[in-house]
Amino acid sequence: MHGIMIRDNSFQMHYSGALFWKEKSILLISDVHLGKVSHFRKFGAAVPQQAIQKNFTAMDEALETYLPKTVIFLGDLFHSHLNNEWKLFEAWVTSKTMDFILVSGNHDIISPLKYEALKIQILSELLLDGFLLTHHLEEREGAFNFAGHIHPAIRLNGLGRQSVRLPCFYKTNNQMILPAFGEFTGSYTMEPCEDCEVFALLGDAVLPVPIKEVKKKRKYRK
Amino acid sequence: MNREELFMIAKNWFQQQDWKPFPFQKETWKAFLQGKHGLLNAPTGSGKTYALWFPIVLNYIKQNPDYKNKHKKGLKAVWITPLRALSQEIRQSAERVVTDLGTQMTVGIRSGDTSTKARAQQKKQMPDLLITTPESLQLLLASKGYDKIFKDCTSIVVDEWHEILGTKRGVQMELALSRLKTVSKHLRIWGISATIGNMEQAREVLLGPQSKALENSVMIKANINKKITVKSIIPKKMETFPWRGHLGLHLLEYVIPIINKSKTTLLFTNTRSQCEIWFQKILEKHPEFAGEIAIHHGSINKETRVWVENAIRNETLKAVVCTSSLDLGVDFAPVETVVQIGGPKGVARFLQRAGRSGHRPGKESVIYFLPTHAIELIEASALQKAVKQNTVEDRIPYLNSYDVLLQYLTTLAISDGFYPNEIFREVADTFCYQALSEENWQWLLNFLVMGSQSLQSYDEYKKVEVEEDGKFKVNNRGVAMRHRFQIGTIVGDVNLTVKYQKGGYIGTIEEYFVSKLNKGDVFTFAGRNLEFIRIKDMQVHVRNSKKKTSKVSSWMGSRLTLSAQMSELLRKELYSSDEAIEKQSIEIQSLAHIFERQRRESIVPQPSEFLIETFKSRDGYHAVFYPFEGRFVHEAMGSLLGYRISLLSPITFSLAFNDYGFELLSDKPIDMQQVLDNDLFTTDYLLDDLQKSLNATEMARRKFRDIAIISGMVFTGYPNKGIKMKHLQSNSQLLFEVFRDYEPNNLLFQQAFTETFEHQLEEGRLRLSLERIATQNIMWKQCEKATPFAFPLITDRLSREKLSSEKLEDRIKRMAAILMKK
Repeated sequence: MHGIMIRDNSFQMHYSGALFWKEKSILLISDVHLGKVSHFRKFGAAVPQQAIQKNFTAMDEALETYLPKTVIFLGDLFHSHLNNEWKLFEAWVTSKTMDFILVSGNHDIISPLKYEALKIQILSELLLDGFLLTHHLEEREGAFNFAGHIHPAIRLNGLGRQSVRLPCFYKTNNQMILPAFGEFTGSYTMEPCEDCEVFALLGDAVLPVPIKEVKKKRKYRK
Repeated sequence: MNREELFMIAKNWFQQQDWKPFPFQKETWKAFLQGKHGLLNAPTGSGKTYALWFPIVLNYIKQNPDYKNKHKKGLKAVWITPLRALSQEIRQSAERVVTDLGTQMTVGIRSGDTSTKARAQQKKQMPDLLITTPESLQLLLASKGYDKIFKDCTSIVVDEWHEILGTKRGVQMELALSRLKTVSKHLRIWGISATIGNMEQAREVLLGPQSKALENSVMIKANINKKITVKSIIPKKMETFPWRGHLGLHLLEYVIPIINKSKTTLLFTNTRSQCEIWFQKILEKHPEFAGEIAIHHGSINKETRVWVENAIRNETLKAVVCTSSLDLGVDFAPVETVVQIGGPKGVARFLQRAGRSGHRPGKESVIYFLPTHAIELIEASALQKAVKQNTVEDRIPYLNSYDVLLQYLTTLAISDGFYPNEIFREVADTFCYQALSEENWQWLLNFLVMGSQSLQSYDEYKKVEVEEDGKFKVNNRGVAMRHRFQIGTIVGDVNLTVKYQKGGYIGTIEEYFVSKLNKGDVFTFAGRNLEFIRIKDMQVHVRNSKKKTSKVSSWMGSRLTLSAQMSELLRKELYSSDEAIEKQSIEIQSLAHIFERQRRESIVPQPSEFLIETFKSRDGYHAVFYPFEGRFVHEAMGSLLGYRISLLSPITFSLAFNDYGFELLSDKPIDMQQVLDNDLFTTDYLLDDLQKSLNATEMARRKFRDIAIISGMVFTGYPNKGIKMKHLQSNSQLLFEVFRDYEPNNLLFQQAFTETFEHQLEEGRLRLSLERIATQNIMWKQCEKATPFAFPLITDRLSREKLSSEKLEDRIKRMAAILMKK
């Protein structure tokens, strides 16, 4: 877990990839891609079923850590069409007491009626005290944007030609991209930039990533 | 008609052409007509096609004495070729035979290039003689009523069997043959193979290890001795010749006179990107060749390839820069000279390429070897010896490829369905699955039907269903369609089609390369400079560009390694650097100054010595080992040693390998004395340690990629059809992790490890080299800096492996994300 202040609000990054907004007691979770494993199985690719349960236990863990009043999914909650994983999701949601909101993403094609039946509010975006919550990254005058969609990861390099790639929170001056929360989702390697801050997920910790500026490629000579 | 009369028909035909049949051709005719199976060992350009087309047609004549007037329709013979490009050539020779002998037989081709219309027509009425690829044969097995198609088929010929044998397409072939043996009652199975080390085994794999077919079979050797001359291109100024590199462009000017001197020259490169670069650079430096040189590799569209092949035959080209795409088959008489750029990593391949020149019986073949860096000259010298001694390597067949078996079973389930008991007997008779246990067979069946080993509620897995009478069958059209598309992808990354925006297909390219491009970037592909516009529907849209670029399309492809025999020759050449100068080959002589520098900074090892060098650079602490055993053995030994050292204390390595040795690079020094004191080269617990080291590196993970695709776990989309299935695309890496975390006992997951073990690491060879090292004195040299031997290794940035016994948190403490300053 790692705390950070953004515009006088305090946020906690969880090692699962969830982000807790303390002042509002909101937990942000992005790109869970529920139903992906079942979707693959339905189409004849035998991805291990046990991976399905992981998403729910991870969400449980994050929820128990912060006990938020509201959970906001930043899009791509469900991977594709309805399948049996929806039933698991239904059971999971009804066992919880907090409010749920879905800021819908490009993968969210399940009928809004299904969500409404579970009392999950669906929005295309949400602006709250100058913080803009979206699925796709947005630039908006005066607002700080939290978004998902990209599944960011970062590559770390060290002496001895060592390198490691880790999913991360990727923050610039006015934006922060959340890592994909879901199991079996994959990630995209980001390039570090000037004035950006990167926080890598490391199993059971969140680690601020030092960024080293390198001039140009070294060349070998005989 | 008796055999004598049939033979007369063939002999007369040869006489009309002013030819005389070779003994091996007559031998093959006889054996075939006697109803035998067999393996014909004959090189390309030797008349092997006539050795088998003739008896196939003669057999038809025998059974249909009224052949001139009546035509008995239906498939009689299948000719399998690994390369689509070869099918035209084979068709021509077949057509010549059937027409000249006055039969009414028809010849057809069925491959990925065949139009849907032609295919539908074939399905209604098969040609008598069918030329096809292993994949297209599988597709035939995936069509309803395939047993009727093959009912009266009398023969199947597998051409270039040596090329298919050591691959998964070979396994595909074994499975198809196992089915056809049952379906076609009077089938003769024949293979044609160039010389390889394990000829007998090649026959066994083709026919089945304990089969009746093998019992009733022959091996026929063509024994055509061809004179091959190898000439190394040695730079005049050795001092400025680089120590590393893989392109060889420094010697470009040396190639020009060679091209000018001969009618047509083939320049063989090892990779497609190297091919592109050479083509570009020759034109840049010598624009006068414009229109007279061409490029040929597997990712260029078919029309261009065919055009190039025809242009070679018509003698309108001075030179063609190519890859292994021109290794096989097609008879190019005008080719006078062949240039091999960079080490061919195999004697058989080198011989085959040499054979592309003087491609007529009796003519001499000339091949030039162009080294890409100094040390490669040692390899050149070793190659010369190998050619003289005709040392060729083995092709190792696969064992227990569960991925291919799952694919095959799904294929059968799509067409007419199958009964497990019947198919198990057939499958267990093949070489690949001779040790398949009933337990694993059941596992595979469960996997096909349930996607796991036990039925789960809520699960919607859908693939193969079991019908009431126990028949395994696919009834879902989507599953069937996806599977048919997938059959061709026995090897593969996601391939994207490269097209002009206005239309016009240029070729295919791997997604990983495209993913690095931004709009407006210019890259070289198929010898053209193309500007990247966008990716749409699995297509890469481009337009021509005049801009210069250094981005050359690249393909991952497979890396090649030196065989055991070649490695031994290589070591001998190296040791000869110590002998009197007149005993040395000219290549070794030209390397004198490099050996001298190596001796100054370290040593050149003797047969009784094993060299280890350590030094420090800005990259970290290097430890370089030189077993000279070929890349694969080094990969195994490097991981093994890295793993054993990492047990002494937590450490992380980056490993690099080449054909001469391997490097362990770390951010902290290795205590080499401790390594030696602990006898880390021991063969004790070899298997166990090697297995554990595999978990510590990522080799198996890479093997898993092919397995996931072949078994249908990863769907690659339909690149040529422009259909995308994005919602079903996943990456095999991700899948690997899910299996590792949740289903490590999955046979497909396990297969990735066994394959790495058996095909990549060559455990047997590793053991032998460790035993050799045990007899040598270990010479540990602490050097100031990288020696000439170490140089090519430590500068390898691309194909590195990593191995760690440290906790991730500890490693990361010393790392940072890199921000490139412009």
